[in-house]
Amino acid sequence: MIRHSENILVVEDDAQIRNFITYTLKQEGFPCLTAGTAQGALTQLVSGQIDLVLLDLGLPDFDGMEVIRKVREWSEVPIIVVSARDQDNEKAAALDSGADDYLTKPFSATELMARIRVALRHSYKAVGNKAQTVFTVGGLSIDLERHQVSLDGEKLHVTPMEYNLLALFFKNIGKVLTTQYIINEIYGPGYGNDTQALRALMAALRRKIEKSPAKPRYILTEIGVGYRLVDE
Amino acid sequence: MNRMILRKGAIFQDFLCAAIFVCAATGVGWLFRLLQFPETNIVVVYILSVILTARFTNGYIWGILATLLSTCAFNIFFTHPYYTLSVDDPTYFITFAIMAITSIITSALTSKAKEMTAEAIRNGQESSALYYLTSHLAEAESADEIARITVETVSRIMDCRAACLCFNEEGKPERTFIQQKGESDQIRRSVPNPDQIQRRIENLRTDFDAEEEFYDWPIYGSESVLGILRIPKTRAEGLADQQKKLLHSMIESTAIAMDRLRVIKERIRSREEAAQERYRGNLLRAVSHDLRTPLAGIMGTSEMIMDMTEKSDARYALADGIYKDADWLHALVENILSLTRLQDGRLMLHKEQEPVEEVIGAAVLAIGKRAPEREIAVHIPDEVLMVPMDARLIGQVLTNLLDNAVKHTLPEEEISVTVSKDSAQQMAVFTVADRGTGISAQDQPNIFQMFYTTKGKGPDAKRGIGLGLAICDSIVTAHGGTISAHNQEKGKGAVFTFTLPLEENTDDKAQ
Repeated sequence: MIRHSENILVVEDDAQIRNFITYTLKQEGFPCLTAGTAQGALTQLVSGQIDLVLLDLGLPDFDGMEVIRKVREWSEVPIIVVSARDQDNEKAAALDSGADDYLTKPFSATELMARIRVALRHSYKAVGNKAQTVFTVGGLSIDLERHQVSLDGEKLHVTPMEYNLLALFFKNIGKVLTTQYIINEIYGPGYGNDTQALRALMAALRRKIEKSPAKPRYILTEIGVGYRLVDE
Repeated sequence: MNRMILRKGAIFQDFLCAAIFVCAATGVGWLFRLLQFPETNIVVVYILSVILTARFTNGYIWGILATLLSTCAFNIFFTHPYYTLSVDDPTYFITFAIMAITSIITSALTSKAKEMTAEAIRNGQESSALYYLTSHLAEAESADEIARITVETVSRIMDCRAACLCFNEEGKPERTFIQQKGESDQIRRSVPNPDQIQRRIENLRTDFDAEEEFYDWPIYGSESVLGILRIPKTRAEGLADQQKKLLHSMIESTAIAMDRLRVIKERIRSREEAAQERYRGNLLRAVSHDLRTPLAGIMGTSEMIMDMTEKSDARYALADGIYKDADWLHALVENILSLTRLQDGRLMLHKEQEPVEEVIGAAVLAIGKRAPEREIAVHIPDEVLMVPMDARLIGQVLTNLLDNAVKHTLPEEEISVTVSKDSAQQMAVFTVADRGTGISAQDQPNIFQMFYTTKGKGPDAKRGIGLGLAICDSIVTAHGGTISAHNQEKGKGAVFTFTLPLEENTDDKAQ
């Protein structure tokens, strides 16, 4: 078994789920810490070296959202929200407050591990390799220096808007980007929350990069929340 | 008939009045002559008699008649030669002429003044009646009370036994109406044919509808007919224009009061609805949280056990059973939550223009997680198709239909999703087709009914409580579309088709 060095903090008030998550993580070789309350989680985060947080939103002392906001005041540690609430606006709010990903209960161990790997890789890339200018996912790659996109080895013609959108996704591989966040980044703040233009732009981009836009291979739709560029 | 007699009586009375005044003036004139008073006094007395006639009779005609009579009488009794219409002194003609003109003018003025007084009194009565009506209506707290006040006031002003039939909020007449019986008591009478009344009022092209017993005046609100005011036929036929105008003003006041009441009711109801909505939202959140958390525990733990055991171990199969049951329960919870969300009504239907590929993509992905071995063929138009919908709910429809297809096919049998645009009908047409067992003839009519499950396979053969398709039906209908199920025309398999309108209808926009 591979021994990982990353400490994962599991914040969950339901003992059964805490057990299942910690068991799965230990099976995968991750050292893990647990907390049953928001206060406990904050204490552990301040005192110890934590590399990733799995956070339940419904905590007994105060709301998990608060934890996200507090943590983001001083730390960029990846946070994956694990919640039974599935209101779209809550997901979007959690992501906009700084969470990296969102998993709705119930979920499978495989899915959980996949999300954890993506989040960890993402955080290392962010920390270790800021100078990287060429990114690749499957057959799709982007060169941020030359402003070029290629698909399966061939140069792909995209409009400046489509390029900006794609570049934004490549800078956040594997991460769910909320519609509001994308609109702010692409069209600038003050554009409001008119999603129509983004939908049309996304549809046009998909027609260039996906074989079948309804079965996307690269950019997945998170209904009611936003989009995600897959990480292999 | 009665009216004619009355009329004749009035004419006779007025004539008598004119005759008496002229005779009296002649008498007084006679006396003046005996007393040797100048003739001018007699002329003045005659003019007085004309003014009095005009004062106490109705219309100009009697004043003029009195003028003629007076002139003749003066001529006959007080000018030479006496007791004839001939005159010796031609200067008397000037006297006659001036006397006649003066009399006519004064009598006309008198009648006019009298009419104006009468009109002022009538206006006063009308405005006080309207004031009485509106001030009482302002305090009314129910449609019934409004009807009572209106009936009472109209009955008093119009001097009849008026009645009022209210229409309910669906625009249908109620079963009973209120009628004034005496000075202060009212009775409720049943309506024998409410539908007929409603039809007649709806097709009404004139001011009122003449029925056997009543003439019905509709009370128009800002949006619909709020009721009808009924005036007994015998009285309604004799209404003067002035009275009709007054009646209209009163009906208008009633309509305003009824409208106001409805607006208040509507406001209270929407406030209550909003409170319920909030309550339901909180409940939903709590339930979804409380059901999903233990489900996550059960599924995760059984997965853990499967992970710990060999596939050949009997315990692996047991854990797998637990996992599948929990997964099924999870699907059920999701469906029930969708249903509750939908039954919250239009407030929760949160429609936006969505590209169909995104919704289909999400549904195919969700099925891919549940049944990774299945390949689902997707056909969408090349051009982006945007459809106004609640993406979560339509996603649920597609997931349910695909899930259904997966359940009723073997792994090698084909499943496909197709979307096309029907430009003529302005509809997006979604089709989920499979090559599985198809739909049996006995299931076909009931397939979208709630709690209907396929029979003939034993109670445990297919798990399901018959919610999935019923929910699809509710969701599609709420979007203004239709859903249908039939078998493949060639070969075996089932085809589910649903449509969604491409244009948001104006009702939705108004909300």
